[in-house]
Parts: sequence; structure tokens; C-alpha cells
Amino acid sequence: MMKAYLSAFRMRWKMELQYRGAVVGGFVCQVFFGLILVSLYRALYAGKPQSLPIESVTTYVWLQQAFFRMILSSDPDLANRIRTGDIAYDLCRPLQLYGYYYARILAQKLLGSLLRAAPMLVFAACLPRGWGLVLPASLPALAVALLGLVLGLLCVCTLENITVGITMRTLDPRGVQAMLNLLMTTLSGNILPLTLFPDSWQKAITLLPYAQLLDAPIRLYSGQYALAQAPRALLVQAVWTVILLGLGLLLWQKNQKRLIVQGG
Amino acid sequence: MNTVKLYLRSMQMLMKSQLQYPVSFLMQTLAQLVMEGGEFMAVLLIVDRFDHLNQWTPGNLYFFFGMMSVTFYLTEIFGRGITGNFPSLVRTGQLDTLLLRPRGIVTQVLCSAVDPRRVACVAVGVAALILGSRQSAVQWTTGKALAMAEAILFGVLLILGLFLIEAIFCIHSVKSIELVNAITYGGRSACQYPVDIFPRPLRLLFTIAAPFALTLHVPSAYILGKPLYGWPAWTAFVSPAAGGVLFLMLYLLFARAMRYYRSTGS
Amino acid sequence: MPYIAVDQLSKTFTVRKKREKGRLTREKTAVHALQGVSFSVEQGELVGYIGPNGAGKSTTVKILSGILTPDGGSALVGGRVPWQNRKEHVRRIGVVFGQRSQLWWDVPVIDSFSLLKDIYRVPTEAYQKRLAELTEALDLAPFLRTPLRLLSLGQRMRAELAGSLLHSPELLFLDEPTIGLDAVSKLALRDFLKYENEKNGTTILLTTHDMEDIAALCRRVMVLGHGKKLYDGDLPELLSRYDTQRVITLRYDGGAALPPLPDGCQVSREGADYKIAYSPQALPTARLLTLLQSAGSIRELTAQPENIDHLIAAMYREMGL
Repeated sequence: MMKAYLSAFRMRWKMELQYRGAVVGGFVCQVFFGLILVSLYRALYAGKPQSLPIESVTTYVWLQQAFFRMILSSDPDLANRIRTGDIAYDLCRPLQLYGYYYARILAQKLLGSLLRAAPMLVFAACLPRGWGLVLPASLPALAVALLGLVLGLLCVCTLENITVGITMRTLDPRGVQAMLNLLMTTLSGNILPLTLFPDSWQKAITLLPYAQLLDAPIRLYSGQYALAQAPRALLVQAVWTVILLGLGLLLWQKNQKRLIVQGG
Repeated sequence: MNTVKLYLRSMQMLMKSQLQYPVSFLMQTLAQLVMEGGEFMAVLLIVDRFDHLNQWTPGNLYFFFGMMSVTFYLTEIFGRGITGNFPSLVRTGQLDTLLLRPRGIVTQVLCSAVDPRRVACVAVGVAALILGSRQSAVQWTTGKALAMAEAILFGVLLILGLFLIEAIFCIHSVKSIELVNAITYGGRSACQYPVDIFPRPLRLLFTIAAPFALTLHVPSAYILGKPLYGWPAWTAFVSPAAGGVLFLMLYLLFARAMRYYRSTGS
Repeated sequence: MPYIAVDQLSKTFTVRKKREKGRLTREKTAVHALQGVSFSVEQGELVGYIGPNGAGKSTTVKILSGILTPDGGSALVGGRVPWQNRKEHVRRIGVVFGQRSQLWWDVPVIDSFSLLKDIYRVPTEAYQKRLAELTEALDLAPFLRTPLRLLSLGQRMRAELAGSLLHSPELLFLDEPTIGLDAVSKLALRDFLKYENEKNGTTILLTTHDMEDIAALCRRVMVLGHGKKLYDGDLPELLSRYDTQRVITLRYDGGAALPPLPDGCQVSREGADYKIAYSPQALPTARLLTLLQSAGSIRELTAQPENIDHLIAAMYREMGL
């Protein structure tokens, strides 16, 4: 059983490595978006400085850009299988499908973001202060942030699997996908850093699953979550990961059963 | 039958065929509404925290957002053949079929697709324009209406031109979607804010290479009564033509690229 | 002057291979799709154009229809160079790709036609007349108002054919028009092509792997392989060249034994049945039969019909394709 997941993981990994051109293109694109956003926030800060230092905002922007692929990445093959209904064949395979797709998605997100994040972080660290990425608050902060990032990665894959599970049930998945993607980009802090949302909203938003993906690790990195708060933040991430994992498994099981009842 | 009529008839037919699946169409249109609504919400949240951006009031910012939104998504509705469909035309060999007909390629590509779902995004843009013009207390005159129409028209050409870059790469089978996205979608994201907030290199980029500033911002600022860089009023009627110039240049490059087009298959 | 005059046409594609490990540049290989192909076709001819996959057939069609520019050689169709002044050229030709649709998927066939009328700028009167003719000849009436996606493959192909003939082209290219069609649809399609060719004098160049299409429609056939023209001429003559082996199975009353047969005949036996393979050129069938009858009274005899696909396979083998 484990072997099937491993080979699914390895296959995606190899595919990702093939698209080196896309990695370069993606890098340029993401750097460009990052520069635009940083310029915008700098202009906004010039008019009305905030309690949150500009360095924190630019760091937030660059980390979001660097790990963009972790949040939104399209697997054209998977999307295609859903659209054409071929995914029904997969449901007939003698395999715990949830795990199979989890491994696939994990491989894609992991490699997709690693390949892009590394050059991006180097680039952002070279920018002048107030433009680029600042160092982590402390070494322990970096350690918990990395731990948070791993949890975030595990969590985003459970979310993605739920999306796949839902889209499988609808005849035309594009509408649902677009909505879920919007929730993802808005509430994970990609469009606008969650730290710039109205303060009263932030209390609720940071508890939602979307904030567990990148927002929590970024706050750990830059010290907005102090070390003392770290266990709580990591716990929230872990709890959501487990809940979403359970929900996803349930959904996939139901899908599988439904398919058997309908006879394909 | 002339080209415009042919285009209109094609649009009519494509709309008809999209409406064959009304539920799916409604769902997707709704999704578009939520999506663009989300983009606008980001602007509202920014205004909530920062009040203003340099000299620009919240109303001004809504207006700039609306101009970009309306222009960009009108392009996506009526220019879908170029903004979204071209790579698949090449991949599926459908471009060959177009080459076998006695009409211009750009015309036929434009006639090949329409995306009426984006009307939801345009609606958000129009709402932002109305809100922005109210809050900025714009005194509408014929001149201002004219400047706006001109800006949108040339803005559509500008965006079509930028998407032609993708088509040109596609003909030379260069895989570069993400690179081109930087200038198209990146340009949209950046230039929904007035260009003068950006540092010099970005300002130059959006004035010369992808002249959103000349095409959309100069007339918008004129309408809002705060001329960009203090330029005289007549510039608002001349500078949008930059979008047309860019389109023309890329159109010629595209025509050149088509000569090197190598169809797929044996 | 012939209607189509092709002289020393050549086209080379460079294909970039995948980058190998440890190398910075990708290797390029040249694929010679056409290497000096020449032929001519008169107005009103119906010519079959055959060859194995990758022989260069589609490349020829694409060059002659103006989609591709050749690297060398010349081609004139009706006095025009296809790849110069594309619009002027394609106005006068029609192309049907068996695996590609040129009609609109979700709209009724008649709407597609009327848009094609606008694209080709066909005058209304001529369009009405032509549409009536095609509707009649291709029996389109039952599904003219049905969206294309709801049609059967046979109906769809008829609609496609009508779509590419609405503007009354002088030249029609057909690329695998009968692929996937059932027997009835195939026969109907062939009848129509004959009609269109004879009635309107449309020159037709037919590319196909279905040898029965060729046998039913074309007297003249061109064979292409590895980008070179290997044969150009009469179809029956081509076939007789490769008609080298026939097989007869027979059984005698009372299990009589075979008479001695000339060299070159191969005999095998299964129970009471004899299987004889012989070459009709070396040993005419009539003589063989006389020989066989002399040995006893024949109870059963079957001669395997000559299979055109086998002939073509033998031909490709001999030509090294």
C-alpha cells in the first residue's frame, strides 16, 4: 500500500523537474508581482505609517510570493481527469484513493514551492531594507516557523483533497473551483496580508483553516506570534489538519460508495 | 459581408451555444462575480486601514480600480480568442482550419471565442466607477465622457496587444505563459492603482513598454480633476492612443510570426 | 498547363529532442518530410494519394493548401502559388480533415453553414442553390437544424463535407474522410464524391489508408514514402505488380491425392483439405484449375479473394517503407 503512494509521489516529482522553463518563468512573474505589492504598501505607509513596521509587511509579501505554489498550483492532469470524468476510473482502482491523491498533491506542492522559493528568498534577501525580506526574529523563531511551514503544507494538501472531492461531485467543476480558489487566495493572505486586515477581523480569520497554511508560519518567522504563543499556533494548525483530513476521507469514501451504487 | 458584421454574427452564435448550458453558465458567472468582488474588497480593506494613497482619495482609488476592471474584462469578453483561447487553437490544430479560410487570422481568432461570464466582473467594475465618481464628486461633461470612452477603447486594444505576445511565443512554440502573465495580469494588478505611486522603473515600464499609464491613468486623472503629473488637459485625449500604437506594433509582429508558423502533426 | 503543377517540392522540419542529462544544448534532428516531390494533376481528376504514416502526405496537402511554406521547389495550383496570397488561394479550395472539425460544435449545422457563407462571402443566391444541391446529394435534410454534437459520425462527416463545398471550390483535399465510418456511410460518401467530381468537375485529391476508397474512386494513384514519390499511375497496374501470391483451398471426392504441380507452388495439408499458394503470373489460374481437375472430382474449392490491403502491405515492404 505504502509503495503505491510512494510511486505516485515520485512520478509527480519527476514531472515537476521537467518543467524547468516554467520555473524560470514563474520566478520572474512572482518577483514582478512581489515588487508591485511592495511598492504599493510602501506608498501606503508613506501616507500613514502603522504600528506594524513596513519590514514585516514586505517580509510577509515575499514569503507569500515565494511559497505561492504551495497555495495555488494547478495539476492540469488532475483537472483534466475531473473535467472529462476519467477520475471515475481511478475510483475503481484497488487503492485507498485519498492517500494516492494526497501523495500526488504533496509532491507537486513540495517540489513546486521548493524550486521556486529558494531563488526567490535569495533575491528578496538581497533587496534593501524596507523593500525585501528581513531575517527571522530569532533562531528558535525560525525553527518553529519551519515546523509551522511543514504543518501548513500538510494542511493545504488536505484542503486541496477536499476541493478535488467536491469538484468530483459536480458536473461542471469550474465554478466551484473558482470560488474555492478565491477563498484560498483571499483568506490565506495572498492578495492582501492578513496582518493588514481590520484588527477586529484578524482574530476570527487567523482561526480559519486558510490562515494555517502560510499566515501562521510567516507570523512565527517574523515574531508576530511570540515564542510563547508558538505552541498554541502550532496546535491550531495541527487540529485543523486532523479535522480536514477526517472530512476529506469521509467525503472520498462517500464518493466512492456513490459511484459503486450508480455503477459508474 | 464586412469584417465587423462577421465578428458580430460569430459572437451571436457563440453566445447562443454557451447558453445551451444555462446552469453551468450561471454558476460560473456567479463565481466571477465573487472573484472580482474579492479583488474590490482588497481595495476597500486597504482604504479602511490607510484612508488614502498619496494625493488620491478612496473615491479616486475606486475609480482607478473600476477603469481597469471594466477595460480588462471587456477585453476578456470580446477578445477571448486572443486572451485565452490561442494556445489551445495551436495545440488542437484548429489554427490550421482557420488558415484554410479566406479571412485574416486575427479576425478569425477573435471570432473563435467569447467569454460572457466576465460580464459579472465588468459589473463590479461599473459599480466601482459609479462609487468612485460619486465620492470624488466628478462633474461629468461631454469631454470627460469622451475621454473615458476613448480610454476604455484604447485600453482594450492595449490589453489585446499584450496578449498577442503570448500568441507570438506560442507560434514559436516557446512555453512562456507565466512570463507573459507577469505583464498582462501583473499589469492589471499594478495599474488598478494610479501609476505615480510606483518607483521610477515600474513607472517607466507602465508608461512606455505596457502603457497602461498613458492609456488609462492620464484620462482617469483628468476626469477626477487631478491631472497626472500636472499635465495639461489635452493630453488626456491624445495619450490613450499609445494603447493603439502598441496593438499595431504587436499585430505586425504577430503577422510576421504567422509566416513562421509550423502546423502540428505530420 | 496542368491544374496542379508540383516541381521538386521539399520541406524539412527541425525537431528538437529532449535535453539529455549533463548537456546544455538540446540536440536537433532534421526530419525530411518531403524530398523533391514532383507531379501534376489535370483539372477534374480524382487522384488517390497514399503512403504509410509519416510519409509526407499531410505535408504535401498543407503546402498545397497554403498552410505551410516549402523549403525548396515550386508548386502552382490553378496558376497560383498557394503560400503567397493565402486568402486568394483558399477561397478556391476546400479541405476536409477526417479527424478535425471545421463546424461549430454546439450550434445547429445550418447556422454553421450560414456563418461559412459569410466567411467565404458567397452571394446569397449561389449559396441557396448550392445548399439545396448538397442537401439533396448528401441527404442532410433530417439533421440540418440539429447541433453538431448530437450527430452520428456518419452524419457529421456529411455535414463537414457539405461545409467545405458550400463555396464551390475548384479543388477539394480529403484527408481520411471515411475514417471510423460504417459500411453504409462509406458507400454513400464515395457515391457523393464521384457525383461531385463528375457533375461539377471538382478536382479531388484523396488521402487515405482505406484502400477500398481508392479502388472505388481513383483510377490514378500516387504513392509516397519517406518524402519521395515512389509510384504515379494506374491503380490496377500497380496492384497487378504486387499481386504475387494467391491461395486456393480444395477437397476432392473420396480423398484423391493432388497431382504433381509445377515449381513455385506451396502445398500444405489439413485433414482432407489442401491449401495451395501460387503466383498467378508464373502459373495462370486457369491452368492450375485444369491441372487440379485432372486428379479427381473436386468437391469444394475456395479461392481467397485478393485483399488490397495485403497488396499494399507487400508493396510498402518491397519499397522499404
